[in-house]
Amino acid sequence: MWRLFLTDAPLVERRGVARDMWVLGFAAPEIAASVKAGQFVNIGLRLGSLLRRPFSVYRAEGDRIEVVLKAVGVGTAQMLAMREGDVASCLGPLGCGFDLSRPAKSVTLVSGGLGVAPMPLAVRDARAAGLHVTWVHGARTADELCSETDGDDVILATDDGSAGFAGTVVAAAPDADLVLACGPNRMLAAVSQRWPQAQVAVETYMGCGTGVCLGCAVPLTGGGYDRACTEGPVYLAADVDWQALPSHLSYAVSA
Amino acid sequence: MTSDLSVEVGGLELRGPVLAASGTFGYGTEVPLLERRALGAMVSKGIFLKPRAGTAPPRIAETPSGMLNAIGLQGPGVDGLIRDYAPKWAAWDFPVLVNINGESAAEYGELSARLDGVPGVAGFEINISCPNVEQGGMYFGNDPRAAASVTEAVRRRTKLPVWVKLTPMVSDIGIIARAVEAAGADALSAVNTFVGMSMDLNAYQPRLSFRTGGLSGPAIRPLAVHLAHQAARAVDIPVIGVGGIMRAEDALEFLVAGCRAVQVGTATFVNPNAIAEVHDGIAAFMAAKGFASLSELPRYLPRD
Ligand SMILES: Cc1cc2nc3c(=O)[nH]c(=O)nc-3n(C[C@H](O)[C@H](O)[C@H](O)COP(=O)(O)O)c2cc1C
Ligand code: FES
Repeated sequence: MWRLFLTDAPLVERRGVARDMWVLGFAAPEIAASVKAGQFVNIGLRLGSLLRRPFSVYRAEGDRIEVVLKAVGVGTAQMLAMREGDVASCLGPLGCGFDLSRPAKSVTLVSGGLGVAPMPLAVRDARAAGLHVTWVHGARTADELCSETDGDDVILATDDGSAGFAGTVVAAAPDADLVLACGPNRMLAAVSQRWPQAQVAVETYMGCGTGVCLGCAVPLTGGGYDRACTEGPVYLAADVDWQALPSHLSYAVSA
Repeated sequence: MTSDLSVEVGGLELRGPVLAASGTFGYGTEVPLLERRALGAMVSKGIFLKPRAGTAPPRIAETPSGMLNAIGLQGPGVDGLIRDYAPKWAAWDFPVLVNINGESAAEYGELSARLDGVPGVAGFEINISCPNVEQGGMYFGNDPRAAASVTEAVRRRTKLPVWVKLTPMVSDIGIIARAVEAAGADALSAVNTFVGMSMDLNAYQPRLSFRTGGLSGPAIRPLAVHLAHQAARAVDIPVIGVGGIMRAEDALEFLVAGCRAVQVGTATFVNPNAIAEVHDGIAAFMAAKGFASLSELPRYLPRD
């Protein structure tokens, strides 16, 4: 088990990476030093909504971690209203990340919309493992594409054809020894059709983020549920019962 | 000055008055970062005789100053608990009570008999107040006769302390409190979650797959203080106050309202060290007010 840290992290940077999509950087040295691709932090604001919100770590450099978000509700709007130096409580790193230790020469990263979140760290870790990295990133329209994609090859896709491949990321992506994916659960269900062995980072509601509340249930094809925050958020695509996993999260819209 | 925070609650000597509430601390093996010196006792996640898968997601929804949950008592069943968790508890320096659940009074009795004498199990908290199961649960908790029969069924099968966790979804909590006291309960936990509902405005249906959920967190605190106070006025056995405690002042409200101890639940999700901070805050309050022990804290418990 890795160590977990709870730290008051000041905001050190904010930049836009797509229409309505922002990267926030926080000074959280212990988390930055230990986080792996696919792991997340649970962020809370003292005067914000009650529960923390889980965010995949986008980048980790020096003493800084970055997360990516859209203003989808009150909680995220409060985070975007933070000024430099304002403090957020960061708990992490949490969850099990992507496994890049399997024998492989190439990896395809597949991300849709905010599913970019774990990918820059996946690029970092895949490069460290000596893999050829192809990153396929998609969004509804050109202006919603994240501007910070990276890799040996980058393929962009849009639903409306306003940039790159006209169609889904799953259709646009090449095969590789490893496939890692993150995005809306509907997109991940399509990933699992094409690559049952893909590693996918799923999105669920979370209460505690640390394994005690059982609020983050992920239905498994083998029956029963386990915890996205602890056994996940990264799953083998074939292990998730996609029919039973809610395909959109309402609090992403309303909270 | 340091004050003595130890308390005796329903047959157990506790080193402090702040306990971990059922379902918010797992089986005690997974809460990171908490300074356990501050933990008076832990109540385990609710358990049934048999393993249970729990409800389909979504299981939780945040609400103003609170959250709804419908976990559905997911758990490994009594065999899994005895195999995987009780041996760990036996080595800990604070008592662990098992939150027990059943679909009939006989099932509750059977469960307590299976756990009686298992090293690591210090007592029982009978859950007659879970809003998130189809059978049993809360429905035992709002009928004084059913509540008493479950309490008796457990009392007959064990010598360990028996606490009963009350539901707030009743018109007079005093009636239920007296019924389970007469049936042999050693203490009462008041209260479990309130039944609530929240709608998803994109899907035009409830945000929880179970439709309803149990409301917890600061949103319920004044309601819980009132109910714990009413229960404490109705009985002579100790009452453990539960509901919306985030800080020491909140816990002190329950204590002044007549509770012997408190449980902290949802706050642990927000702040993994909440229990220690509540404990330390109570200690600081006692010292500042010059109370040598918790028995000196004035209680507001008019008997009329
Ligand atoms: C996610 C969750 C799971 C819970 N599971 C149980 C349970 O298994 N048994 C039980 O008696 N109470 C359960 N409760 C109720 C709590 O123990 C407590 O009574 C309630 O949450 C109010 O306290 P709080 O506001 O401090 O959380 C649960 C509460 C939550 C939030
Ligand atoms: S979020 Fe609480 S167990 Fe996963």
